[in-house]
Amino acid sequence: MERQKIKKSPLQRFKMTLGVLALIIVAACSKVEGNTVQATRGENQEIIQVVTTTGMIADLAQEIGGTEVQVEALMRPGVDPHLFKASQGDIQKLDHADMVFYGGLHLEGKMTEILEKLERHKPTIPVSKDIDQALLRSGEDINGTQFDPHIWFDVKLWISAAGTVRDALVAYDPAHAELYKQNAEAYIGKLNELDAEIKEKINEIPEAGRVLVTAHDAFGYFGDAYGIKVMGLQGISTAAEYGSKDVSKLRDYLVENKIKAVFVESSVPPKAMEAVIAGAKEKGHSVIIGGELYSDSMGEPGSGADTYITMVRHNVNTIVEALK
Amino acid sequence: MMFDFWIILTGTLVAATSGILGCFLVLRKMSLVGDAISHSVLPGIAIAFMVSGSRDSLLMMVGAAVLGLITVFLIQLLQQGGLQSDASIGIVFTALFAIGVILISRNAANIDLDLDCVLFGEIAYVQWDTLIINGYDMGPAAVWFLGITLLIVLAVIGLFYKQFKICAFDPALAAALGIPVALFHYLLMGLVSLSTVASFESVGAILVVGMLIVPAATAYLLTDRLSIMLLYSVLVGALSSAGGYYFAKWLDASIAGSMITAAGLLFLLAFLFSPLHGLVARFSKRRRMKSMTA
Repeated sequence: MERQKIKKSPLQRFKMTLGVLALIIVAACSKVEGNTVQATRGENQEIIQVVTTTGMIADLAQEIGGTEVQVEALMRPGVDPHLFKASQGDIQKLDHADMVFYGGLHLEGKMTEILEKLERHKPTIPVSKDIDQALLRSGEDINGTQFDPHIWFDVKLWISAAGTVRDALVAYDPAHAELYKQNAEAYIGKLNELDAEIKEKINEIPEAGRVLVTAHDAFGYFGDAYGIKVMGLQGISTAAEYGSKDVSKLRDYLVENKIKAVFVESSVPPKAMEAVIAGAKEKGHSVIIGGELYSDSMGEPGSGADTYITMVRHNVNTIVEALK
Repeated sequence: MMFDFWIILTGTLVAATSGILGCFLVLRKMSLVGDAISHSVLPGIAIAFMVSGSRDSLLMMVGAAVLGLITVFLIQLLQQGGLQSDASIGIVFTALFAIGVILISRNAANIDLDLDCVLFGEIAYVQWDTLIINGYDMGPAAVWFLGITLLIVLAVIGLFYKQFKICAFDPALAAALGIPVALFHYLLMGLVSLSTVASFESVGAILVVGMLIVPAATAYLLTDRLSIMLLYSVLVGALSSAGGYYFAKWLDASIAGSMITAAGLLFLLAFLFSPLHGLVARFSKRRRMKSMTA
């Protein structure tokens, strides 16, 4: 008897666990069905709570939403969006948000899937969604489905993103449609000026010297839009390992073409670049680090690169100063 | 709030599944097999990507699941060939991971293909990833997924509890009794592989690897009976996931990280104060022995 009792007890326990589990699942299910998505602004809603993934998108949403929105970015300056991990507080922000804007094109890594699913619960908009696919860059050995997500380095593409944010705000809050349209028009005007300014500045670099060497290939759109050859050490994602062959190839290129400067990035450790510079030095060619570029995130508040426009301007000035 | 509940429930489901399997792994000195699988699935997702050209989650999971099974099969094979369990785990997972690195650098260097990006989920997001059937929102997919995994594990372990128990403690006796020991080892490792890969997709690697080891090790210090050890392991896991969640809330920190930290703290308590094997209990026992002999 005693023995049998011992043998039986775990099975009974499993059965009990099973029962409890089934109860929990059933109870939890019925609760969810009542949820509905509020697609437009409520009448008594004081201010629209907007949450964005990166700082650039937050800046964009703030410019266009103006006084009607309160914008918060999940990723702080210096954070790499590919590798972002949400904290408990970030989940609360996403849960409380009325609208969510994100980069899309897999910029947010694995989080992209969640953002796509969040759309069932609240307006969740990838700012890259209205960009013509023909204007997007794709990697070489990719079957046309994978695009480079770093669209903000072509100001023209960012203007399209501004339009996307405007349309989303107008759809959510039609009562203030005029305001959003005015804000967007003013901001797009500034972006057009910025675009012209970049082209002018890049012209100061002698044509042969228009080569931008960085640690990770985030500047593809920048290169295409403003006529600079971009060489990177890593793949599109900061997580991809660079091979030793990449380092020596890049080193030889620097030596052969007498490139004056290379650049490090705010969200990528500069170690790889330092290896390339040391290699070039051994071969008798001295290369300097031209400065730090902002790639996946903007600067800290007060750094002089804490808005989209000042960030782009900082990058362009840094590049032009080092290469001209 | 609703998401508090979902995250804790998901954590508890992972903890229960891993806690049960973890007990058997701890007894067999193979706890690190979860960590091994978290690395060795890399070639699986690389091959899945090469075949399909997309980063679709389902395909990645199939690739990962196949590699998970290959991993545990190879580990078991090497171990039965006479190699120590830690060495077999080490050899298999580093070799497979290295193959994965080569495959990716050869075939997908320009795209974002790493485990964090395509396979490992994040427990923080479970409440938004809901399952929709016929237009009805059935709640988070992860809860269903992990719940079913738990049921499968419970069913298999429950059905063959006696066999698993004897195989874990005394394989020689099990063989003498006519139990197909190798078969049960493969069955257990297969369960471990499937449940870890399924959990990786929903909640990420650290939580699964941690829950596979820490609660089971804690329970190991608290009792000498397998059935009680299983129960304690599940309880410690559930407590860690609830406690860890509120810890994360308080600190505004990573949820999975906090859950494992909570599990670590519970382990520390057991290590110090367990009435059976705790440091304090052993110390006072030794003192008593000394005073008796003196």
